[in-house]
Amino acid sequence: MLMTAALLWSLLPLLCQLLTSLRTPEALVLQGAGAWLEGWTLENYRLVLQGEPPFWRYLLNSCLVGISTTSLTLLLAIPAAYGLQRQRPRWRSALSLALLVAAMFPYVLLFLALLELARALGWGNQLLALALPYAGLSLPLAVLLLQAAFADLPQELEDAARLEGLNLWQRLRHVLLPLLGPAIASTAILVFLFAWNEYPIALTWISRADLLTLPVAMARLAGSSVYAVPYGAFAAATVLGGLPLLALVMLFQRQIVSGLTQGAVKG
Amino acid sequence: MTDPGGLRCENLSRRVGDRCLVDRLNLTVAAGESLALLGPSGCGKTSTLRLLAGLDPASGGRILLDGQDVTRQPAGQRRVAMVFQSYALYPHLSVVGNLNLGLEVRGVAAAERRRRITEVLALLELQGYEHRRPAQLSGGQRQRVALARALLREPRLMLLDEPMSNLDAQLRDQLRPELRSLLRRAGHPVIHVTHDQQEAMGLADRIAVLNGGVLQQVGTPQDLYHRPVNLFVARFLGRPGINLIPDEAGVQLGIRPEHLRLVSSGGLPARLRRREWQGAQQLLWLETARGELLLLADAGLVLSDAVEVSWRAEDALRFSSVSGERLQ
Repeated sequence: MLMTAALLWSLLPLLCQLLTSLRTPEALVLQGAGAWLEGWTLENYRLVLQGEPPFWRYLLNSCLVGISTTSLTLLLAIPAAYGLQRQRPRWRSALSLALLVAAMFPYVLLFLALLELARALGWGNQLLALALPYAGLSLPLAVLLLQAAFADLPQELEDAARLEGLNLWQRLRHVLLPLLGPAIASTAILVFLFAWNEYPIALTWISRADLLTLPVAMARLAGSSVYAVPYGAFAAATVLGGLPLLALVMLFQRQIVSGLTQGAVKG
Repeated sequence: MTDPGGLRCENLSRRVGDRCLVDRLNLTVAAGESLALLGPSGCGKTSTLRLLAGLDPASGGRILLDGQDVTRQPAGQRRVAMVFQSYALYPHLSVVGNLNLGLEVRGVAAAERRRRITEVLALLELQGYEHRRPAQLSGGQRQRVALARALLREPRLMLLDEPMSNLDAQLRDQLRPELRSLLRRAGHPVIHVTHDQQEAMGLADRIAVLNGGVLQQVGTPQDLYHRPVNLFVARFLGRPGINLIPDEAGVQLGIRPEHLRLVSSGGLPARLRRREWQGAQQLLWLETARGELLLLADAGLVLSDAVEVSWRAEDALRFSSVSGERLQ
């Protein structure tokens, strides 16, 4: 019962968007009887996809930023988390606390400073340059999550590999990382989601229309006219923007669920 | 000097902060010999094992393997194999995968790897389980896989950390002689850590008793049992435990329960408090003027409440009650 309520609470707005995206503007305004029977259209999608630049361009931009952010973050966070886990307990808790503070810091307060930085370094209108602040902002939480996952692995497992002559890289590659699959997948999704949704930095760093990321493009679409709000087109963009994430989550569903529910290793 | 072979440690120590986990340990284990490190938990036996494996750095002293100083050598290069208490099998790999990983990383050619894995699987009777994951194996099978992995290391020293503690009692009794003969045939020097004296006696040629990081005594099980150097060793070995009776000033007598006997007259008068039947024998709790005594008697013996106990003078060990050392 409560479950149904929770599902409705979170899914109903999405359903509304889906329905809205499939209707003509007239059908949205007129809500008389029989309105359900007519006024269905794919026109909104055509409009969005054939815009200038076409909508898939923004999807592509966001995907590029998301993938490079996630890769960069994991590349740095995995060794950092391993190193953190191997510190002496007192050092480790001090470092973890510092990371926690960094992870909790409202990054919106930073965007002006970051904009100055981008100007000074000539990173404005460089799509992939966005991955740098994104990875920087994602790292603290990613390191903490992965460190907790490393901590769940029994020490004896790595000791056994050490005695067998595996060096650090081989231990990570053959023993530790395969066991951390679920934790890495859930961390990757969180980081990707952050990059996908991020607004203030993308808004201030990117001004060229063909380089916009999805959230900024959406905002432009909504604010393109003072007199008419293009509900249908906006809803179509929402649905299209949600699809890649849906695909991603379904792809990694098994890992995410097992990452959340089961301890990493039980003998 | 001829190469002695096997393991030799000299004044081996490990300190963490101001705690001394292992204190100037001197030990030798010859090739083909099996030594048990025995002691209560926290006595430094696992710390010693980790030092020998190279998993923890030594704070002082030397470790020599086949005459070569390996004290500063990293764990991966020492050719020391270890069977962990949890077995530490790689859970995501099959039995073959577990055995193969180390060989592959050490650069053994594929055909050679296959040959050696087949050989060790046959030796440990693991055929038919090649493609199972550790989670799909029984405790005894996991132990054998861990042992197989250790043997494939071709170790100069084989370490076993509480190898039997994850098995039930029946399986333990069955596996102990098997493990012993297997290790003997393999011919490595073997050190195994345990807190279980029965396991130590069943698996080892010699036993080293540790307490608080300090080696108390090394010797054959018989040595330790009959000629303990101090009260700690005397009390740690033997179940039921040794009886301690105050004697003349500053001396305590230690008498094994099986060495006390019931006599009709001329002994120490005692009252029977409790009896426990143990199959072939019965354990008696006796109250005497010199404290409570445990006596192991024949199960068929019929007793009255008031008895007298006695012992042969040569069965009584004499300890200083100040230092705990055995007096000659």
